[in-house]
Amino acid sequence: MNHLTTETFDQNAKAALTDVQLRGALRNATSLFGERRREAAAGLVNWEDLRSHARAIKDETLSHLDKYLEQFVTNAEARGVQFHWAENAADANAIICGIMSKRGARTVVKSKSMTTEETHLNDALEDAGLQVVETDLGEYIIQLAHETPSHIIAPAIHKSKKQIAQLFTEELGIAPTDDIAVLTRTARNTLRDRFAAADVGISGVNFGIAETGTILIVENEGNIRLTTSLPRIHIAVMGIEKVIPRFADVDVFLKLLPRSGTGQRLTAYQSFITGVKKNPGDEGPEEVHVVLLDNGRSRMLAHPTTRQSLACIRCGACLNACPVYQQIGGHAYGSVYPGPIGAVITPQLIGLEKAAQLPYASSLCGACREVCPVKIDIPQLLLHLRAEITEHTPGNAKKSMGERLTFKVWARIMTSPSLYNLSTRLGRMFQGLFVREGKIGDKPTTRIFPPLAAWTAARDLRPLDATSFRDRWRNELKGDGND
Amino acid sequence: METTNTSNARGHILASIREHLAASREHDEKLRVHGSAAAVVPQSNGGKGSPPAAQSNIELFKTNLEAVNGHCVIARTELEIVHALTRIISELKHTQLNPRRIALSDAKGLERLVRLVAVQIDEVAVTPSSAEMFDVDIGITTAQAAIAETGTLVLDSSRERHRLISLVPPVHIAIVEASNIYSTLGEALSLLQSDQEISPIVTFITGPSRTADIELTLAIGVHGPQELYVIIYDGPPLMS
Repeated sequence: MNHLTTETFDQNAKAALTDVQLRGALRNATSLFGERRREAAAGLVNWEDLRSHARAIKDETLSHLDKYLEQFVTNAEARGVQFHWAENAADANAIICGIMSKRGARTVVKSKSMTTEETHLNDALEDAGLQVVETDLGEYIIQLAHETPSHIIAPAIHKSKKQIAQLFTEELGIAPTDDIAVLTRTARNTLRDRFAAADVGISGVNFGIAETGTILIVENEGNIRLTTSLPRIHIAVMGIEKVIPRFADVDVFLKLLPRSGTGQRLTAYQSFITGVKKNPGDEGPEEVHVVLLDNGRSRMLAHPTTRQSLACIRCGACLNACPVYQQIGGHAYGSVYPGPIGAVITPQLIGLEKAAQLPYASSLCGACREVCPVKIDIPQLLLHLRAEITEHTPGNAKKSMGERLTFKVWARIMTSPSLYNLSTRLGRMFQGLFVREGKIGDKPTTRIFPPLAAWTAARDLRPLDATSFRDRWRNELKGDGND
Repeated sequence: METTNTSNARGHILASIREHLAASREHDEKLRVHGSAAAVVPQSNGGKGSPPAAQSNIELFKTNLEAVNGHCVIARTELEIVHALTRIISELKHTQLNPRRIALSDAKGLERLVRLVAVQIDEVAVTPSSAEMFDVDIGITTAQAAIAETGTLVLDSSRERHRLISLVPPVHIAIVEASNIYSTLGEALSLLQSDQEISPIVTFITGPSRTADIELTLAIGVHGPQELYVIIYDGPPLMS
């Protein structure tokens, strides 16, 4: 169930649907997260205003991203932060390995960062002979199991405590247990030594504040504080879209992010890091580096619809709300970012050809749009990407010709009462060939017609009623107007 | 200052941003004509305009801190602070934590108060090194401010050496003056910005360290403290 690719999404999803343990875990997690989010949002009277406000701030920032990014860099540089610009994942990884080798640094403690998952930083560090350990409990479990995260904010959501206990027994040599407190304490004790010895701490960034040059990182465990406080070098990896204009804007985002993610009013810790320490004797790292990553993000600015993708604050609410994610989990997407937001970001990051199935991994029900704290219209984005796939994928022109013709005929029938009448009569006459147990389902006869075969392979179609509504209206329902 | 600028990546990224934003302009225009998505940035209320707290800030802070598994004591005199510290430490003596070593920040007057604590403590260290910090059982600091609506402590590490003392030991005890408790997050943020410049590290702390990474079951005290005690001092200015 791991290291799957986006190209095989359909097969991944099918396999996931047969995994009983996974589906149970997903049901528990997504419903609990959903419930907590609803309660937390209901606790604020102006929730809808906050969402609109946050989106307006993001729209304003993204429309002038060059300006705000330069302001952020200028202000942080003035406070001693060293900046590195990376056009793609390979450059970002090379920059980080470069910083380390120049200083003779060998060991890294890392806090959770989806951006470094995107660049596959750990592989690059290990290839360079450097030691890296993930310190977020979920990420640590995933690293021990040689897996990838399956949820943006709860990486090990797919694993049961039994599986984790077994993993800890095998990898860390603890006595078998199913006590979560013991497992947590084991991780704490094991990682303490790594924190104490690490040369470098690598973190992500939740918000980069242009006005002050501040990095804001949000967490619950305390591992981010340790990562950014103990080692002598701190490297923060930040997507270029993470910048916000003003310090006061933090108020809005700190109200939305924890409530949307975990249903908390505020997570246990927020670290506001503004530059390096003033005196050599002060606590904290000697050097703070920020690696600014583009990796396909600037391309998304080219259209207001795709630009929305960059407003995402990575809360994970759309995953929990999505009926597709709820059934198949994160790994089936075969990409770093799963769920509805993954289905729109991944094709834009790695290319439509490789991720052509993802924009179709949705029923367009709109649950993601309802919960998104920054009001990203994910269904609109999915349709936009579907249109692009249809228009631009070579070989699709022929297929879309057939589709176009079908919908032309469909439109003609639906707008003409006589043609509609005729077609439903024909339908009633011949549907008996396909009906089994009152449903049009998978049957030898349905398999003959490709569109019908595809539809009925995994679901049923309701047959037309024996009498049409028009006939019933004429014969039974239409009274003389007195009753 | 070292800045990696491999083949002018900075120039390329900024140019790419500008180029793609320019390409979007015609679509942006269309959107505007159709009358949707006109982005108006509302004024941030900066925490003002929030309804007046029904409870006092002290009570509200206490309620919200306790809701996230923190402990809160209110002290009206210096002696009550010492009593509170004594009670907390002696109670911890009867738990698995059994504290022996205490680390203090360099907050004014803090050491004097802790020396008055009537519990046997093997060692009291003021601002130990980060290596020594790992053997400490209790860290005692003050907090520069607090937020009532969330039960949050605000630690400004340019005013006090408490970045690690508040983080590494399994128990953190913080003393905060009642007059420094703000109603809202927005007020606390504007306070930080009203200083001449923001300190290199400001930390918000809301309850003990927590995780729910295993089966979404809450576990307290993963990487940071597993116990957080806040003593609110609501009395005349502390002598130092």
